[in-house]
Amino acid sequence: MTQAQAEDTRIDWEAALVERARAGDPRAFERLYREHAGRVYGLCLRMTRDAHLAEDCTQETFINAWRALPRFETRSSLSTWLHRIAVNVSLAKRRKASPVEPRLEDEEGTGGALEWTLETPVEIQEIEAAIGALPDGARDALVLHALYGYSHGEAAQMLGVAEGTCKAQLHRARKLLRERLNVEVG
Amino acid sequence: MSGIGGGDERRVSSLRELSPAIEPARDLWPQIEARINAERRAAPGARGAQPHPVRTRAVPLRWLAAAAVVASVAVGVWIGRSLLPAARPGTGVASALNASRGTPATVDAPTALDVTYISDPRYQRDRAALMRSLQARLSALPPPARAKVMASLAAIRRAKDDLESALGKDPGNALLQELLVNTYQDEMRVLTDVHEASEAGRGI
Amino acid sequence: MRVSRLAAAVTVLFASAAACASGDKSFERQVPAEAHGVVDISNVSGTVVVTGWDRPEVSVRAELGEGVEGVDVSTDHGRTTIKVMLPHHSGHGGDADLQVQVPKDSELTVSAVSADVTTTRVAGVQRLNAVSGNITAELAGSDLELKTVSGDVKLKGHGQPARLHVSSVSGNVHLEHGAGDLEAGTVSGSLVVSLDSARSVRARSTSGDVHFEGKLTRGADFDATSVSGDLNVRASAEGGYAYEVSTFSGDISNCFNATPSEHGHMPGHTLQGTRGDGAGHLRLKTMSGDVQLCDRK
Repeated sequence: MTQAQAEDTRIDWEAALVERARAGDPRAFERLYREHAGRVYGLCLRMTRDAHLAEDCTQETFINAWRALPRFETRSSLSTWLHRIAVNVSLAKRRKASPVEPRLEDEEGTGGALEWTLETPVEIQEIEAAIGALPDGARDALVLHALYGYSHGEAAQMLGVAEGTCKAQLHRARKLLRERLNVEVG
Repeated sequence: MSGIGGGDERRVSSLRELSPAIEPARDLWPQIEARINAERRAAPGARGAQPHPVRTRAVPLRWLAAAAVVASVAVGVWIGRSLLPAARPGTGVASALNASRGTPATVDAPTALDVTYISDPRYQRDRAALMRSLQARLSALPPPARAKVMASLAAIRRAKDDLESALGKDPGNALLQELLVNTYQDEMRVLTDVHEASEAGRGI
Repeated sequence: MRVSRLAAAVTVLFASAAACASGDKSFERQVPAEAHGVVDISNVSGTVVVTGWDRPEVSVRAELGEGVEGVDVSTDHGRTTIKVMLPHHSGHGGDADLQVQVPKDSELTVSAVSADVTTTRVAGVQRLNAVSGNITAELAGSDLELKTVSGDVKLKGHGQPARLHVSSVSGNVHLEHGAGDLEAGTVSGSLVVSLDSARSVRARSTSGDVHFEGKLTRGADFDATSVSGDLNVRASAEGGYAYEVSTFSGDISNCFNATPSEHGHMPGHTLQGTRGDGAGHLRLKTMSGDVQLCDRK
């Protein structure tokens, strides 16, 4: 079995689980939960910066997903769909808990694409602390783009902002990380 | 902050090396399941009202199930001692490499006496010792490993609960008995692996 | 000039220690090694990459992070030991990235905590242990014993029979082009296995799913159990096999057009039958997982 075949097998397997969950099989949905819970919780935790809130967000994400399963298109990526729900839930919970950040001006032509490489290696716990200390908008954009691999457009759409705003937030994140970690971020 | 990456002193050269996934400290599924089931009960005409049985947790029934398991094990022991040949060792995940060099690995169906593995005093003593040190051992693991192991132990606990509950409905079911023995053996394997792994973390 | 083996080992030990005492971040050492000797590598954190080669020596190159004291390389009676040295009671210490080349027929043991382990072109017996590091190994016809707690496992064979024993707690296991005898167990990880030819298979999981695809030899024995994971088996066999599938509350589907039987008023389904001459044996058991069985791709 090649890597591609294994990935196809996995996707087919997941599609089969979605169909069964859609038909009302909670065991199938539990398997989908087990497969995706880590990434959903990781997203919620980094966005809310609070473990209890992140647990609430994760639970609400999957409950909303269960309700919305009939509308999910199987050819789309389940994980992207779950992350969209998680982002919405996290933003809503955060808005309730804290005041809204001032909007950043859109930024066009801010230079080449960033690879998020660090000039010298940094400890994971230090990087995570630095990410956690970023302002909300910058952190959200950074997590979706650099950690979860979404494009500027996808991340912007998930966050409900213009693509230019998302790019501006990413550059702000880069600048703040550089200052906090005292290494060049490229 | 929530302590993401706390204790993880590995160094990375790119943010893209950070793992997106973080396992929650506890299993969130039971509450999700409870909410989903509550919604399904509240909307009887809705999707999934029939096709598959809901795995509800009938707490009072579990006490009856546990009693039925004890009774069935006791009967199994009596049958085994009276009627069956001398017990073969439980299969577990024992290494077939050593047991059957040069011959295909054979699979022995568990006898009734294999079920007494669970009530064996040596097993109980060894398990108790491993459980007492479990929390400290888990703390010695790298945080990502710790979270995954906790999820696996939760899976084992749920498997035991489900099997014991099912045995309550069908105490003589050989399949369930075999799977229950397997699950107890797998739990011991995990507890032992965690014990060894935490020793390894202190310097191999 | 005759030099005792002990003196040679000590010489190598001090030489390697001296290289690190200078504060170098890189480390490099070559030592002679027997073609069928033993190589024992341990590293807590970082990476371990082992490659087999045709030379009668072991070559070690390492990049050492802060907190790593050095690398101890010693040889004695055909055993080469490579150990990343950390300060005492340092917990998980610093990272070390090891690149090790070994005689390809060496018997290899690697012990890692959170280091990722990769082996290629090692034709001897491999014993690989990791706690949370991932393990990627190439199989070349010799036995493999692999244990991981939470790391993922990727094994790639070339269809040469061997005895493979893989144990994981929560890591996923992916094996392709294996052959011979396989024993694989996981609690919550998934097992995705393809075997070019299997003489015996024992696969066990608690909640992880098991996917198997491959060919069984004549008279092969195949046994897969799970508590709540699904079992998806596509196995063809020379001489066919007698199959028995049991589940308490899961579903059974198959490509034989065979109908599972129920147990009267009791829960549970069983599917029994024979494919071909029934030379082999195939048993699938699960409590609540679903089972899919077919004898073709």
